[in-house]
Amino acid sequence: MANSALFAHSLQDWIGIGPLWVWAAVSAVVILYAIALPFAGIATYVERKVSADMQDRFGPNRVGPFGILQFIADFVKMLAKQDFIPQGADRILFSLAPILVLAGACAAFAVLPLSKYFLGADMNIGILYALAVTTLIAPGLLLGSWASQNKWSLLGGLRAAAQIISYEIPVALSIFPAILISGTLQIGQIVETQGWVWSAQAGTDYHFWNAFHNPFCFLAMFLLFVGGLAETNRIPFDLPEAESELVSGFSTEFSGMRFGLYALAEFVDIFVMSSIVVALYLGGWQLPFINIDQLSDSIPTLLVAFIQLGCFLVKVFMLVFVVMWLRWTLPRLRVDQLMAACWKGLVPLALVNLLGTAVWMWAFNGRSIAQLVLGPMVN
Amino acid sequence: MTIYHFKYLSCAGREVETGFIAAFWFLLISALTVPLLLGVGALFRPKQKKVGHSSIAYECGELPVGSAWVRFNVRFYVVAIIFIIFDVELAALFPCLVLYKDAVISGNAALIFCEIFLFVGLLLAGLVYCWVHGDLEWVKGLAIKSGKNG
Amino acid sequence: MTTGLKIVLLLAELLCVSSAILVTFHPNILHAAVALLFAFLGVAVMFVYAGADFIAGVQVIVYVGGVTVLVLFAVMLTHWLYKVTLRDVRKKLIVPIVLLVILLVPAVYKSLVELASSSQNIAPERVAEFAGSAKTALIGQALLGNYLLPFEAITILLLGALVGAVGLARPK
Repeated sequence: MANSALFAHSLQDWIGIGPLWVWAAVSAVVILYAIALPFAGIATYVERKVSADMQDRFGPNRVGPFGILQFIADFVKMLAKQDFIPQGADRILFSLAPILVLAGACAAFAVLPLSKYFLGADMNIGILYALAVTTLIAPGLLLGSWASQNKWSLLGGLRAAAQIISYEIPVALSIFPAILISGTLQIGQIVETQGWVWSAQAGTDYHFWNAFHNPFCFLAMFLLFVGGLAETNRIPFDLPEAESELVSGFSTEFSGMRFGLYALAEFVDIFVMSSIVVALYLGGWQLPFINIDQLSDSIPTLLVAFIQLGCFLVKVFMLVFVVMWLRWTLPRLRVDQLMAACWKGLVPLALVNLLGTAVWMWAFNGRSIAQLVLGPMVN
Repeated sequence: MTIYHFKYLSCAGREVETGFIAAFWFLLISALTVPLLLGVGALFRPKQKKVGHSSIAYECGELPVGSAWVRFNVRFYVVAIIFIIFDVELAALFPCLVLYKDAVISGNAALIFCEIFLFVGLLLAGLVYCWVHGDLEWVKGLAIKSGKNG
Repeated sequence: MTTGLKIVLLLAELLCVSSAILVTFHPNILHAAVALLFAFLGVAVMFVYAGADFIAGVQVIVYVGGVTVLVLFAVMLTHWLYKVTLRDVRKKLIVPIVLLVILLVPAVYKSLVELASSSQNIAPERVAEFAGSAKTALIGQALLGNYLLPFEAITILLLGALVGAVGLARPK
């Protein structure tokens, strides 16, 4: 398997024939239908099970062993429900909204570093691309809520759009320290520079996950995670779909499969936000204290690829679990508190953080805590 | 036979990064997932029944009064304006950040550091302006009231 | 391969032009605003084809994520949205059509010539040998080199824009 920038290239090597665009399409289908959407489906089950555990209940336990097939039963139920469009709704926008929301969430999978060899597309502007396509979600939710011809929906959609665009600022600002350290926007390279012993033109030296590069980065990781919670409308930032005040916000009039698509998009978005935190600050596919790329000389590349995939998924699932955990830990914010938390809390903190990272880089010549403590490596 | 992995392909005289081909498929396939699932469902789901009030928007059991397309507060618009200005400044900062690491290692980071410092300073200045003038307050009346009382 | 790329480019151009036409002529302002979103997306695709990846990303972030939401808010704040029809525009069509033809014919001709030419003149690079986010770095070098003064001026201009816009939107 060649050292490639596209999953499609690996497939091309493996099979040996076929034009690149076909393999690009195949890689998209594989990543979306074998990882993204099944994850979202299983996440709905896991969320119910985790919630049940935290409240000392059983949760779904009838369909299959431990109720694990519950999400498939839900899927079939949603497929078989009538397709409800409320009276007086704007039918075009009502149909368009789920497309924008799902495409915005799923398309970010193209740059998620599942493994060095399972990367949909390691583009030069990787992280910028991920930020860009996820912005489709805000207009999608807003249009869907407006098209519903329902006052609860409209309020929810307005809140969702305002919340998502506001929190995009601290999210972008918290991504900046990682870019400062890695010197690139390409996600694959950002992950590679977080290997324990990473050799490049700069010389062989100890590196570690960006979160432990300096104290500012450690804080930036938390800011990014909190911003991500708000971007995905999760508790404590779930005002747009607050059940006790807005029925269910922007998704009130969406039922059956259309609601299912919204739910899928939400979980896919949670996966994307967690992946970005993992890729930028928690080492992506890297194992701690081992350089996995150096192992690839002694064990088959395919095995390395799957170790990396497992490593990445374990980290992401831990963050997703934290997201579910927070749901039963924190109360919901009020709308004015939400905006204050963003503009008066996260944004100034993230700005100071960015400056702090820049100062650290300048003062210590770009060296991380691990390098400063362990000193230069002797070959 | 060796397969060459092209980072760029040429089209109409310019180079296009091959990664965008994959990105195109990701966008297209995820967008097509919606009509696909709705289409599969159409094969065996019942038609929407329009009996009585069943297709009226759900407002907790009450019949909706008037159109749902009501006027809302202008503060949403203000948030969007502040967002766009911040967004443009951040977008302009991206290219400078990418250069910083190499500049630090080669020892001439002063210019980029000043640039970052200036940007952060300007953004903070804008933020402080909005803050002082109360544009960041969501509930302005309440804020003024509590200010007078306390 | 390049034929496929050209087809996608043509589709993007078609998307751009048709949504632009919708923006101009659609009687419902909200639908026109949504068409604007797709026009912005089409422009982003064209930036990709022009080799300007970074600008394409910024186009989507700023225009699709920011300006479209702003426009949607503005349109939704307009009262009696669905009673507004923008039909009186159609009486004044002659001058725009003449201008359109004058501008469009050379553009279409040029793009068709470019599309028809088989262009393989760029030496393809091996994937393993490329060097990071070169284009973004190049933009950075330009901004910090030749264009430093305009760059600083723009940042201060943006601060002014923020103060002005927020001041105008402030309820009296």
